[in-house]
Amino acid sequence: MCVIDTDDLIPCPVCEAVNIDKKKNNTCRRCGSAIHHHRSTPTEKSWAFLITAIICYIPANLYPMMLVDQFGSESGSTIMGGIMELWGHGDYPIALIILLASIFVPISKFLMLAYLLVSVRDPLRGEIRVNRHKVYYFTELIGPWSMVDVFVVGILAGLVHLNSVKIIAGTAATAFALSVIFTLLAAHAFDTKLIRGNR
Amino acid sequence: MKIRVKNEDELDHYIICHKCHTLQKEVPIADGAKALCSQCGVVLYHRDSRLMDHGLALSMTGLIFFLLANAFPLVRIDILGSERFISITSMIASLIESGYYLVGLFVAYLIFIFPLMIFLLYILIFSLMKGGKGKTMTKDLLILLSRIQPWHMSDIFLISILVAIVKLFGMAEIHFGISFWALIVFVLIDTYITRSIHLGELWTLQKQVYRSKKENPACVRD
Repeated sequence: MCVIDTDDLIPCPVCEAVNIDKKKNNTCRRCGSAIHHHRSTPTEKSWAFLITAIICYIPANLYPMMLVDQFGSESGSTIMGGIMELWGHGDYPIALIILLASIFVPISKFLMLAYLLVSVRDPLRGEIRVNRHKVYYFTELIGPWSMVDVFVVGILAGLVHLNSVKIIAGTAATAFALSVIFTLLAAHAFDTKLIRGNR
Repeated sequence: MKIRVKNEDELDHYIICHKCHTLQKEVPIADGAKALCSQCGVVLYHRDSRLMDHGLALSMTGLIFFLLANAFPLVRIDILGSERFISITSMIASLIESGYYLVGLFVAYLIFIFPLMIFLLYILIFSLMKGGKGKTMTKDLLILLSRIQPWHMSDIFLISILVAIVKLFGMAEIHFGISFWALIVFVLIDTYITRSIHLGELWTLQKQVYRSKKENPACVRD
């Protein structure tokens, strides 16, 4: 028989089993995976992924996402340009989906992750009312949806491939895909135990 | 708050909510019922006495529809007098052909390799557990499954197809192929599986199936 403080219990990130936090070199008792080994540098890995993602997001917005090659003349459109074009044509729902997936989701994810990473290090006063576990849950939930634009470009490039009209994926597609992957990695690298530790 | 446990394995009766991270004690519930978090109301676990049969049936159906979704064209278009079609594999091939190796690779993993792996893993895990064989193998497969599960995006791909089609609406005549409907069914089955079979339940099942008589390790702290 032994008594455990419930604050010392942590979930395994892989199998969700409840484990006792032994402060260093935690391995899950059920599946044997490591539970956040890097106690001395808790947020650095997540920061590194997040900054990489933000850097990738810049060319993703500056370069064309999709090139339309019509009878030899090429015209490209950036993410924002594509949204404006759709809006101009009256395709409001699609314009909104792309706006949500390619602009709103990535930027809100950057902001929320940055907020989480800053707040676990330097808790600001009065911010305890925000349930940061819910913020994290939300970032995980909306994260993959920003891949929509990359998939759309891939589908269009595969479909419209004629001699007269061609749709080609632009440089921004690579940058954008990288940005999404790195934000997902940043979210996965975030140690949720830190949230409670600072409460 | 302090809790008392006999040994570390008794912590299996506790669950940390994956949404709000509050500690919950597992309570016995009726067959087919689900337990909700007392704080945020998210589903914590289900109880299904025939989880292995249900899981095996669902994952096999899912795999069949996944194969169908890849065997035929997804969408066919008539544009400027010529006909073009696309399938998941031809889309990946065209991305790689046009020099977008990285995007092509990502897309291949996210919508082809990972979904296929996940369903094969489900089938393998359920079959192994049904036969009661391969304890360590099941464990390794479960770890692999939980590592790749966040990385598959078939549902997002389905929405992307719809967006792409609406973009082409004025330019071309669009016909949906068999694979498109198969993909819809696959995504529905996949969503149902991820919602109704949590990985935690699979671990509990694994523990029940391969229950050994060895002594439980003593508690680490006193």
